[in-house]
Parts: sequence; structure tokens; C-alpha cells
Amino acid sequence: MALLTPFSKVPEVNTATVLLIENEEELQVKLANSIVQHEKDFNVNVRLAKKLPLPVENKEARPRLDLIVFIINLLSERSFQSAETSLAHLHSDCFLGKVCFLVTNARCGSLTQERLLSVRRLASSHQCPVLCSEHRTADGVQASAMRLLTLLKVSAGMSPLSTTALFLSSLTRCSLSSDLEEDFLQ
Amino acid sequence: MEERGCAVDTPASRPVARKNKSYGRSCVEAPSYFWQTPGQLTVLKLPTTRGAAKSQIITDKVDPEHIALLLRNEWKLSYVTPLHCFRHNQLSSYAKHLSSFIVAEKQQGVAVEVGMDAGFKVTFTTVPGLAESDVDAETVFIQIQSKPVFAAADAVKVVWRGWLTCVNGDPEYLRSLPADFVSLPLFFTNGPESLTTLVKSWFGRTFDANFGSLPLNSSTLNWLAALWTGCHPTCNIRYLKLAWRLQSQPVLDISYTVNPQDAWELWNSIHTPESADDQIGEKEVQAFMNGLETHFFRHFKIHLSAGRLLTVSTSLGSAHHDGKIKIGNSEYITTLLTLLTEYALFKMPT
Repeated sequence: MALLTPFSKVPEVNTATVLLIENEEELQVKLANSIVQHEKDFNVNVRLAKKLPLPVENKEARPRLDLIVFIINLLSERSFQSAETSLAHLHSDCFLGKVCFLVTNARCGSLTQERLLSVRRLASSHQCPVLCSEHRTADGVQASAMRLLTLLKVSAGMSPLSTTALFLSSLTRCSLSSDLEEDFLQ
Repeated sequence: MEERGCAVDTPASRPVARKNKSYGRSCVEAPSYFWQTPGQLTVLKLPTTRGAAKSQIITDKVDPEHIALLLRNEWKLSYVTPLHCFRHNQLSSYAKHLSSFIVAEKQQGVAVEVGMDAGFKVTFTTVPGLAESDVDAETVFIQIQSKPVFAAADAVKVVWRGWLTCVNGDPEYLRSLPADFVSLPLFFTNGPESLTTLVKSWFGRTFDANFGSLPLNSSTLNWLAALWTGCHPTCNIRYLKLAWRLQSQPVLDISYTVNPQDAWELWNSIHTPESADDQIGEKEVQAFMNGLETHFFRHFKIHLSAGRLLTVSTSLGSAHHDGKIKIGNSEYITTLLTLLTEYALFKMPT
């Protein structure tokens, strides 16, 4: 099975590419527009997908992916399941700082508590960060875009302080308390 | 949990015994020991396995008339924080106080005397026998009857009913409560909203109890569907009806009725009787729901998991995600109440 690998292609000068994967395909577009609008210093390519694996036809033309973002809608079980199955198509090298989870609708407390917990478990077992996003307002989308841009800059190697993606991920990755992890391992 | 060096043996300084079912708090941020103040007695988590629904003829434990009261109506659920200084032997005085309170609230500005015979008659009764373990408090049933002042004696009509119960509540939590508190975490109400708020505010004033709504989330509804289906061989559930809502354009409301024999066979294939040590795991419930969803997808090409489960109903009862519940059969009432008590204790902010 062809896995998506992070380092198989040569990066382009002053360019970063981010892949947004979302089953519902609604926040992707708004986020993409917001990301592109806000970044002036370097070129950003935003690629959208519904799930992995990506179509084989584009494989050659596709640039190197610096950051892969899974957008999960906490109100829908399907969204979570689709993200879970897509994870299997990523090479394990990607998880060293190039994958991130973005959840929406985390505010609907009673409905989403358990699903948020399972997303956090998934993220902590893969050592990736989880970001919460407010997708209904323009400000919320802009805030998420800024956060993703910060992550993107580091994982594309453009951070001025020479932070690497792996180091940043060790700071930002989702961690669960030992009680919850123990339960999960049972 | 770390032991705090403390001269007084408060619940917080006693080490929490770790059992098979580990305790943790499922909330958004990882809990640190910094915010576990001594006021935090124990933390609760929903168990991942649960005993299978056992049929219990409770008519020998509970008066059939009381059971009949519980079965007929559709109840709205709330959780209640522990009640301070609630005594089961003072129920008649509570009844008098509550009736005067209601009358006073209804006619603001006019002084009302306690014990005066006025528009509402309240009765508090205990329903002994519903409580399972010895740390559970006895169930209390409250009835409000309207008694118009200038009407014939037989014109009393029950306008509001409610009951507080605790069935198989977490024993460690219940034992850790200070001595004055009685915990009856589950509150069922049926009747006009105005009376419900009055009763709640009276409880708040008298016993310092806080109420909160208890909407049933999809995992609780999944458990109910699985538990009720598992009862099919002993008690014919007659149908398994699930109602889903999908947020599409236009919004789709799907009502999915499953033949009980088919549902039972599906459940049986997942939770085989040989493997049963009478415990049902969360994974089996999830597999059951996945089975139903994939079957639906095969025929209609609609992913039910993209929507929300709103109601589950069988002849044993029906549960709505708003927190409305109807109990159809008295035999399985203990299991249902155990599940709801656990959920109420879990939802209650400690």
C-alpha cells in the first residue's frame, strides 16, 4: 500500500504546502482562503482532500507536503471514523511533527465529550497536537488559520529560530493523564 | 493519587483505592493536581462494562401501586446534588412546607400560613424496595394535587409528579459524602414546567440542592438499545425503534424500526452467550450499533453515523436525547435506573 511519506520529495524555495483533510468538506475551504490571505512572507499552497489515500494520478505533480491537518467534526461519528481510517495511509515518519488534528464543535459539551476524548486518545497515541477551532465565525476561522500557519512555518523549516518540527511536536503534542491512558490500554 | 500530609483524615487525604475500573475525570484539559482542592471528594467515570439487564420481579419488593405510578408517565430527567439534612421521617412536614411554598409563590404578596388548607396538596411518600445496595437512599415520590378551594372533595386532580431516586450508586462516592448529606441524584418530573421550577427552588432553599438537566448522549442511548435488545428472549420487546436526525439539506429525520428477533440475533452474534459472564462491554455495544448502521447503509446508502441518534424505544421503554424517558415494564426497571443513576452521578458537577 503506497503510504504518504514526508521526505520523498525535494522542497521548493520559499514555499510551504499544507494538506487539509476533512470528511464534510465545509471548513476546509474557508480555512484555505484564510490561510492564503494571511501569509505574506512566503508562498503557501493549500491542498484539500476528503480522505487518504490521495489519488495516484497526481502523485508526480504533487509538491512535498509539510503539514497534514485532519479536521474532525465532533458532532459526527463518521467524521472521526474517516479520519481514523485515513491515518493508516500515512507513513510513520509523518508523525514526527507533520500531522495535526483540528476539531470543531468542541463547545457542545454534553454531546461531544466522549468523542473529544477519543480524538485526544488517538492524537496522544500518535503524538500529535489537537487544536480546537470555532468554525462558524470569521474570527474563529482566522484564529485557526494563524495557528496552523505557525505550525506550518516550523514544519516547513522556515522558523527563524531554527525550531524543528519534531521539537515543536514534543511541546505541543496532546497528552492524556495517566488515569485516562490506563483505561484506554485495558 | 498523592497523599497529602494532613492531620485530619479528610476524604482527600485518604488514598483513593485503585480498582479495576480506574477513576479519572474526563474533561477537556488534562487534570493536574493543582486544581484538585480538598473539596473534591472522588472523581467518577462511567464504567466500560456493565452487567447484563437482569429480569427482576420487583413486585415482591415494591408495592405494585407504587410501580404503577412510575410506569405510566413520560418523565423528564435531571440530576440533583446531594441534599443537606434531608430526613426520610420528616416527609409530612416537608409536604406541608412545599404546599405552602407553592401557594405563596403563586399568589405573591399575600402571606400564607404553613398548614393552611389551600389550593395545592402535596404528598411525599417513600417507595421502599427500589434501592438496591445498602448505601442507596430510599426513593421518594412527590405528588402535587390541585385542590380548588371551592370545589367538591373529590375534585382533586394530580397535576405534578416527581420522584428522587438512587439505585446502585457508586458506593465509594456515596460513602465519602459527609454525614448530613443524602444523595438522591436522579430526579424524574412530569407536569407543568412552572411547578417543576417551584419544586426545584424549594429544594434549593431547604436542602441546598442544585438541579441540572440531564440530556442523554448517544452513548447512553446506545447502551439502552443494547441492554433492551438483550432482554428480548425473556421479555418480548416487540420492536426496536431508533430515530436519527441528519443535518443535510433538507434535514432528514430517519425512523429505523428493527424486527426484535433480528435485533436479538444480531446482538447474540456479538455478545455470545458462552462468552457472557453477564458483563457487556462498550465495544460490544459499539459493534451492535455499527451492525445496524452498516445494514442501513447497504440499503439506503446513507451513513447514519453522520447524524445524531435522538430516541431509542422498545416496549420496555423509550428514551429521548432531551432527557425524557418512559418506562414500559417494571421487570427491568432496576437496570435502567442503575444506568441512569450512574449517568446522573457522572454529570453532576462535584
